[in-house]
Amino acid sequence: MSTSTIEKTVHKGNASGGGLARRQNFLTGLVGGIIFAWLFWWIARLVGDQSSRSFSDLTATSVTLGWLFGFWLGIGALNGPFRWLIGRDQTREDQLYYAGENLGVSRYWKFTTDHKVVGVQYIVMTMVLLGAGGILAMAIRTNLITPGNHFVNQQVYNSFISMHGMLMILGMIVAVAGPWANFVVPIMVGARDMAFPRLNALSLWTLVAAAALLLTTLAVGGLPVGWVILAPITNQAGVGMDFFAMAIVVFTVSTTVAGVNTLATVVKMRTKGMTFTRLPIFVWGSIIAAALGLYAFPYFLLAEVLQLMDRNFQTSFYVASGGGTGWLQANLFWMMGHPEVYVILLPAVGAIFEIAAVMSRKPVFSYKTAVGGMVALAGLSILVWAHHMFTTGWAPTLGGPFMLTTELISIPTGIFFLVLIATMWRGNVWFRLPTLWVYGFIFDFVIGGVTGIYLSDIPIDNQFHGTMFVTAHFHYVFAGSVLFGAVAALAFWYPKVTGRFLNETMGRISFGLTFIGIQVTFISMFLSGLKGMPRRYSSYSMLFEHTNFITTIGGYTIMAGMLVLLAAVITSWKHGEASGPNPWHANSLEWMVPTPVPLENFDVLPVITEDPYNFAEKVDH
Amino acid sequence: MSQSENKKSLVGFYWTWGILTVVGVVIGLWAPGRFMPASMSGNMHLSILTIQVFTVCAAPVAAGIYAATLHNIRHDRWRGEGVPPAAEAVRGNTTLVSAWLIASSVLTVFLLVWGLGALAVDNSSTGKNPLVVDVTGQQWLWTFHYAGTDVNTTQLVLPENREVQFRITSDDVTHGFWIAQMAVQVDANAGVFTEIHTTPDKLGTFDIRCTQFCGLNHSSMVTTGEVVSPQNFQKWLTSQPATI
Repeated sequence: MSTSTIEKTVHKGNASGGGLARRQNFLTGLVGGIIFAWLFWWIARLVGDQSSRSFSDLTATSVTLGWLFGFWLGIGALNGPFRWLIGRDQTREDQLYYAGENLGVSRYWKFTTDHKVVGVQYIVMTMVLLGAGGILAMAIRTNLITPGNHFVNQQVYNSFISMHGMLMILGMIVAVAGPWANFVVPIMVGARDMAFPRLNALSLWTLVAAAALLLTTLAVGGLPVGWVILAPITNQAGVGMDFFAMAIVVFTVSTTVAGVNTLATVVKMRTKGMTFTRLPIFVWGSIIAAALGLYAFPYFLLAEVLQLMDRNFQTSFYVASGGGTGWLQANLFWMMGHPEVYVILLPAVGAIFEIAAVMSRKPVFSYKTAVGGMVALAGLSILVWAHHMFTTGWAPTLGGPFMLTTELISIPTGIFFLVLIATMWRGNVWFRLPTLWVYGFIFDFVIGGVTGIYLSDIPIDNQFHGTMFVTAHFHYVFAGSVLFGAVAALAFWYPKVTGRFLNETMGRISFGLTFIGIQVTFISMFLSGLKGMPRRYSSYSMLFEHTNFITTIGGYTIMAGMLVLLAAVITSWKHGEASGPNPWHANSLEWMVPTPVPLENFDVLPVITEDPYNFAEKVDH
Repeated sequence: MSQSENKKSLVGFYWTWGILTVVGVVIGLWAPGRFMPASMSGNMHLSILTIQVFTVCAAPVAAGIYAATLHNIRHDRWRGEGVPPAAEAVRGNTTLVSAWLIASSVLTVFLLVWGLGALAVDNSSTGKNPLVVDVTGQQWLWTFHYAGTDVNTTQLVLPENREVQFRITSDDVTHGFWIAQMAVQVDANAGVFTEIHTTPDKLGTFDIRCTQFCGLNHSSMVTTGEVVSPQNFQKWLTSQPATI
């Protein structure tokens, strides 16, 4: 690993030296979190009014706050600001320590500021979230394999569907942007790190804190309310609801911090000559999603803060008997919820464009149209939220306008297909692992997109809303498209992270199983929906027997595919075929730096003279 | 044929496009009737018709994308050793982009015009002597009150060919009132009434299923109702015990 000359002169090799702060890691974070959670619990019980009907909610909310602060303190997230406060700001030596220099593998367990470490941590977090969501999916599908099966008890089943939804959504939000906006975007734009390295670590570990709260929900009474956590049924849930609401508040902090960081990095830290039209297209996908996330997630935060106030302080934002309405919650949720679809989708689309161009040895077709399409989609996405509420009875006269904005989304979505196919058309398409997942993305996204058109139409939505048709539609978008984009990105950039290829054979087996599994699972789920099976049912009429059985078999197939992928990721990390620094012979900057990437990425910051898609004059490294 | 000649021949692409379009259209026209519940109202006819129209519009687009992708996989796949050489750099094509934008906009506008028209028809009411039914959802049961009578029942019986107005509310959490054969759906919210209307046009039983997650026994909140002739409806209504 090479280090810059500045580091060599300043750094005196002291990884062993210096106080308690240097012993902090995930474990001390965990201990700190638990101690503070207990402390806050104890205080809440001491000062709280035990006769109040909010007593248990207040206690639970205190515990979650204690957990967050304790975890932050324990892992060292607050060291930097604290040192600054007492007038002893961190030295460069400290900063290099926190960047993980010479810490080896242990840096992955610490509050490490190096964007590449954070990227790897995000890969692991994505796999944890999607893995947990996947296990719940398997439990749900097993329960639904026959009409009256009770593999899990009904209350637990109801918690599982909510938790499956939330874990998968959170996992999808970070699946592409988390690992790759952190690992490769700073290098792609020619920066030595993210604009705010400490905030970068903060976003990751805050996500860990949020995920812990979310998973704890299952242990404290669960979340038997459905994943859209619609009020007023939330008022019937126990303290699991408080844990969940706080998990979302904490998660929003994490995404906001991450989004600001990505945007600031790309806007302010591009190297000389890296104009906006020379940015690799994945960077565009990342920053548009980051900006959209900054708009969208505060609604979710607000929705859950109001929820917490209703529960803890007896306000009645969502309580009809107190003058509130569940429609307020539904509006806030979907004002977040629809833009969030594109926060999830756009980084995947950007990655797919990037991979398609490199693998077919052609520039991205009509780069500006592609960027324009992404911007248009992001813009439209904030105007369509009420199509999730066509059948709620809220504002029927707005049905027409929301139908209009929703159907307009077809146009920018169509641009994506044009750009993607025209990019690969008459290219010399290199059939490696990432390419397969790109084709899988195209196949599934057509189905996900076309079925969305039906749902945008109110007379049809009156029939399909709340049925398995909707479930199948958005699973084609998320599991079929975004997941495929995420795996394509993983296969594409894995060599940059590890210096090794993701095992091609296992990757292909995984692709085959997952691709077939997705079609079997969700086409049969469409049929369940057409036949009239509502969502979120734990048992169902004999009418839906066959299609559900097929769906469950398909679900198991997806699981098999994902397990093979997991095995490939783990085994290739140490034993994969060596790849060299630029295995795909691409031109963007992340491939120009050595692998493993040095701590500060570049010895000398490069100067850019053209976009990275000129493969004809490519210089091999 | 050499690879470069192969790349230029689009005959296969057009054939695939055509065949896939036909397949899509056939499936789109056939599947609703095969899989969806038998229609018992104008709203349901309209939904099915709209699904078919949209499928006919979407089929050529989806088929075109699939045909192009298949063509790409077949003809543009690099079969040589090692890293493929650079392909001819095409950085844009104003005609193609414009044509694509215009075509997708025209299609979208058509879907929109159709959709808004269908919505107007869907919402239209004859206004003539409608039967008003107050529907109340509670965990996990629907009750129906026939306006102007003292009849409160858990069984929904409707007369054929007479407009029914449902006024829907909830005693507790939000429920979703949906008649699977009539394509009408709206939530039951505590504290407010929501309204839908439809005209049953076929005798027989229909399914009411809750479409909004409502707690422990959400999946048991299903019941059937029946459309009967107007004479039988009057008989049934008068035979019901009056309840408060």
